[in-house]
Amino acid sequence: MNASTVTRQPASGRPVLLRWAPLLLLLAFAFALPLVVRSATYLHILILLLLYAYLTTSWNLVGGFAGVLPLGHAAFVGIGAYTSTVLSLQYGLSPWIGMILGGMISTIVGVLIGLPTFKMRGAYFALATIAFAEGLRVMVENLDRLGPFRLNGPRGLQIPPLEVGFGRLMFAEKEPYYYIILTMLVLAVGITWAVSRSKLGYCLAAGGEEPEAAQSLGINVARLKLIAMAISSFLTSLAGTFWAQFTLYIHPKSVMSLDISFEIAFIALIGGRGSIAGPLLGALLLRPVSDFSRIHFGDTLPGLHLVIFGVVLILVMLYQPRGLQEPLTRLYRRGMQRLFGTGEGG
Amino acid sequence: MKIVRILVASIACCGWLLGAAAEAPAQAVVKVGNILPLSGPSASVGLQNKQAQDMAVQEINDAGGIKSLGGAKIQMLYADSESKPEKGVAEAERFINTEKVHILTGAWNSAVSYPVSAVAERYQIPFLVPVSVADKITEQGFKYVFRIAAKDSWWTRDQFAFLKDLQAEFNAKVATLAFVYENGDWGKGFAEGWKKHAQAGGYKVVLDEPYPSTATDLSPVVQKIKRANPDVLLLTSNAADAILLTNTMAEYKVKPKAIVASGGGHADPSYLKAAGKNARYLFDIVEWETDVNKPGAKETNEKFKKLYGYNLTGESVDAYAAMYVLADALERAASTDPRAIRDALAKTRLTKGPAMIVGYDAIEFDESGQNKHAALVMVQVNDLGKGLERITVWPKASRRAGYKPVFPIP
Repeated sequence: MNASTVTRQPASGRPVLLRWAPLLLLLAFAFALPLVVRSATYLHILILLLLYAYLTTSWNLVGGFAGVLPLGHAAFVGIGAYTSTVLSLQYGLSPWIGMILGGMISTIVGVLIGLPTFKMRGAYFALATIAFAEGLRVMVENLDRLGPFRLNGPRGLQIPPLEVGFGRLMFAEKEPYYYIILTMLVLAVGITWAVSRSKLGYCLAAGGEEPEAAQSLGINVARLKLIAMAISSFLTSLAGTFWAQFTLYIHPKSVMSLDISFEIAFIALIGGRGSIAGPLLGALLLRPVSDFSRIHFGDTLPGLHLVIFGVVLILVMLYQPRGLQEPLTRLYRRGMQRLFGTGEGG
Repeated sequence: MKIVRILVASIACCGWLLGAAAEAPAQAVVKVGNILPLSGPSASVGLQNKQAQDMAVQEINDAGGIKSLGGAKIQMLYADSESKPEKGVAEAERFINTEKVHILTGAWNSAVSYPVSAVAERYQIPFLVPVSVADKITEQGFKYVFRIAAKDSWWTRDQFAFLKDLQAEFNAKVATLAFVYENGDWGKGFAEGWKKHAQAGGYKVVLDEPYPSTATDLSPVVQKIKRANPDVLLLTSNAADAILLTNTMAEYKVKPKAIVASGGGHADPSYLKAAGKNARYLFDIVEWETDVNKPGAKETNEKFKKLYGYNLTGESVDAYAAMYVLADALERAASTDPRAIRDALAKTRLTKGPAMIVGYDAIEFDESGQNKHAALVMVQVNDLGKGLERITVWPKASRRAGYKPVFPIP
């Protein structure tokens, strides 16, 4: 035992670097990708992939670590999209500021939802969050204005593509969108990583798996879940603003629909809830399946792409109920072990 | 291990799909990218649109294609929007960037056509819209969007003109109105028009009730109608809710003097089948009816019915006509350059050919891209001994010979 620590210690500089090398490579690859992928179509698909990976990573803070299943995150996407859009359309405010403001509103709303609902268990919590998100959507659909703010009911808001530039978060090309969402994703993954290594993360995991045991140890589970919810709703909301600026048209059925909440949950379940890589893997598998099957079967066999999506979901649930993250992590570990010897034991 | 095999299979599958995308077809074709709701809640109307366009394109190609382009064939590419704006936009971009289409058409849902029009404008690709009726689509100052159908402010205008003529014809008074409409983009747009016209016409609005068209029970809405007891009930509904409303109203014995619907679900072929005699005496405003008095209309309808098993609707006629408008523009442009096609479309004045099965005499676009001749007809559902049918009653000039509308509902 003594010997092994001794042999590891002096060489620690290199193995650590080596351990991080694949991640850094992956990151470099992601940043270099637009240099190779020139087609706006495939960039569009990649951006949506990253967007969903980001959304699921944000969701994962509550849905993964805190061990509950929130199905109402579309509400935060909607709040983010509407806040920045209304403020930029009516008052000319930069969407970047609107993004932060929307995030703050979402945080407050997220905590307000969390206060009563985190006492619920299992399906009841999921249903309560669905009810809340759907309620919000129906409200927006039936409101033409909210005080001085024009929401335009079910007809939604179109952002005229007039002022292009970084300050307006609006570009004629796809590349800037790609880099922005990639940066957001890296930050979100970083936050998730930090949380998972912190006391908050351990307590959340404990509270999620064995709430009674955690409480008996003096952990205030409800409060920690609220903190996770606050971070998660803030991050989710930022994606809403990005979505609005990317598609330049929002309406309640697009940015607040249950479909978004479900798709986030699907990606998380496929990839693996409660792990850092899970949301990324899930998005990496599900988004291309959904996009390419729509592109290639959408015209000849309408509806088939939804069947394919469902079949993939069922297969993974049957054979890998904890998500794809588990076998792939095992594979990765084994590969690392073989490459760098036994030092990498875990 | 199994999961690995599945993964490998799915990756191989993706690769094959990508490969399939790469193989490009030969030259001498005009590529038309068509975005429609082919799955999801509006799939049935999306499919009807597709079938009408397929039939028109088949006819055009069989007749020798575009002669000024050396007999170039029109190639239709379809994409599924699932009725979602962001998917429609993604597909429009794919059509333009990857498939290199020369023209876009679609997208049925106003909510999809609206953002797609911005994409088309940005890439300078003409976007020919057969039926999305929201006014705003042609009111953005865009140069590349063209619409065949009447816009929704014209529909409400004509519904009220019809009401006025009806009162004059039967020497009866309509004092109170009830508005019941699906709470989406389309229904809200109609309701806004109704309110304006009701105020101008001096009617009293006794009920203003939006409802979600996905509702599985509409009895609360029907009870409200019963309580409000309007002279005339105005409706805007999608397919399933139109059927549900009609049947629930029969169940509760709600009988206003007249019910005036706005096409959409009420014009869907499935409506008469499912509502049966409960639908009798309903008035419905549409762009086109099978009994329209135009040469070729009957034959085209029969051909369509033989191919797909149901009648053409106003919407599918617009989709059908749109393809002939496009062929005409291509013929004149003698080029596949999207800008040249756009200029030719802007100068369209189509007065003959198969497209003229529409209910009016010419297709011509104003500066905003709106077909200025698009007109509407009012039909009444009635049984004249041969089962329920839709009978054109208004404007009087188009009324089926010998038919007298039934008002009020007995």
